[in-house]
Amino acid sequence: MTLVTLDPTSSQPGSTFTMAPRPATLKGQTLGIIANGLGRSEIMFDALAEQLTKWDDLGGSVKVVKPSVAVPPWPEQWESVTAQATVAVTGFGGCGSCSTRSMRDALDLEAAGIPAVCLVHVALVPAVQALCRLVGAPDYPFVVVDYPYNPTGVWSEDECNAMAAQVLDGVRARLTA
Amino acid sequence: MTLASETLTHEGWAEAVEAYIDNGWTDGLPVIPPTAEAVEAMLAAAGLRGPEELGQIPTRNITVTAEKAAVNAVMAGCLPEHFPVVVAAVMALLQPLANAHSTTATLAGAAHAVIVNGPIRNQVGIEGGQACLGPGFRANATIGRAVRLVVRNVFRTVPGVLDRASFSWPLRYSFCFGENEEFSDWTPLHVLQGYDRGDSVVTIMSVLRFLQASEFAPESEVILETISETARLYGMPIDEFVGDARGIVVVIGPEHHRRLLDDGWTKEAVRQTLWERMTKPTVRKYDAMVNLASPENVLVVAAGGPGIAQSQLIMPHLAAPTHEKVLGP
Repeated sequence: MTLVTLDPTSSQPGSTFTMAPRPATLKGQTLGIIANGLGRSEIMFDALAEQLTKWDDLGGSVKVVKPSVAVPPWPEQWESVTAQATVAVTGFGGCGSCSTRSMRDALDLEAAGIPAVCLVHVALVPAVQALCRLVGAPDYPFVVVDYPYNPTGVWSEDECNAMAAQVLDGVRARLTA
Repeated sequence: MTLASETLTHEGWAEAVEAYIDNGWTDGLPVIPPTAEAVEAMLAAAGLRGPEELGQIPTRNITVTAEKAAVNAVMAGCLPEHFPVVVAAVMALLQPLANAHSTTATLAGAAHAVIVNGPIRNQVGIEGGQACLGPGFRANATIGRAVRLVVRNVFRTVPGVLDRASFSWPLRYSFCFGENEEFSDWTPLHVLQGYDRGDSVVTIMSVLRFLQASEFAPESEVILETISETARLYGMPIDEFVGDARGIVVVIGPEHHRRLLDDGWTKEAVRQTLWERMTKPTVRKYDAMVNLASPENVLVVAAGGPGIAQSQLIMPHLAAPTHEKVLGP
């Protein structure tokens, strides 16, 4: 007997995503940082801004720490970043819901015309890739951090600084043309 | 009624069951193949049309329709009369403060408790007495399972992909129970939340920890102290997003309930006392403050069966308890 049944899943959109135009260099740019407050990742972001200022002549930075690890920034935080930043980083993508939300923050920045990159731990790569597919940006690039750094941001200050140095090239490459 | 879902054709029931497992659309257990007729019966029972929206998860660009909830309710084994409860549960889970993206994708593997109050419990057989938190009751089992299948298939929260639970846990198969409103004259949870006694209401509570508070002493004060101490084993920090809405559920078992009634405790007095004790400052490891804004954030629920002198605590993930009225056709 033939049986006809229904698909239980929600539909997925096609790829409609466009990346924001990139500057040639980071010189004079203002770096927006949308941090989720995971572990000690805020220290790493501060170190990253310092490194970019030192090596790339970054013009300045503006940082917000969201009210919870896996939610959007408050509207006033979003306004602050989008009003000042010309390039941006988000993360740290080290837990299930926070990594995917930080990826969404990066995609929202792109939609607002601000080149962005999300920092993601290797353990969460399948999650952020799934999120990118869900919202129509399947090929959106990001920077991956590997072990021995643990995913949840329980890092020493030395590790924060070392990680900032390690992701520097990747961040620069993702934010420039 | 026109349904929007894509269709699949199978050579018989058994092949359909296997196809849903093979497609990754189940919790690992077989499901009821969702035919259009069965889905339409669900929608009719709730007075909904397929395209009606139950809510969204903005982070994922996902809109949950009544039709998709109904498809998954059929798969879970629900009867049509269960579907209005499923709808209310899904809508409660999609309220912003339920933080559905966070609580379904988290490494911590949070589950969700579906707590039902009001006349619908007895109308559709939602158990709130003996063994109500476990298997054996169709309404409890299938309503809770339907919510989880919606999380999996409609929210797209697939383990190892968007669901990053490192361990996950059995409460994620299904977790639904009713308050035993008939046990005493204590004010039902939904009435304390401002609903009418004749309303049927679903409360969704994220579950990061599920703790047993065992206390065999007869004194009410000791029982309440043990419940407080159990909650303080882990405590609860402030989360800026959830703010003052963060809450804890305390399921008072009948043996504790009897002792409290004998000593004249109302539910309102119980939550006041628990709040005062839970919110004392942290003094040492394994004695952490449960940071709740007010006594109203201690959600006291009567449930369970006679025998062991226990109550159960449901501690949340990064979400507040949310409520939704059950609506019929």
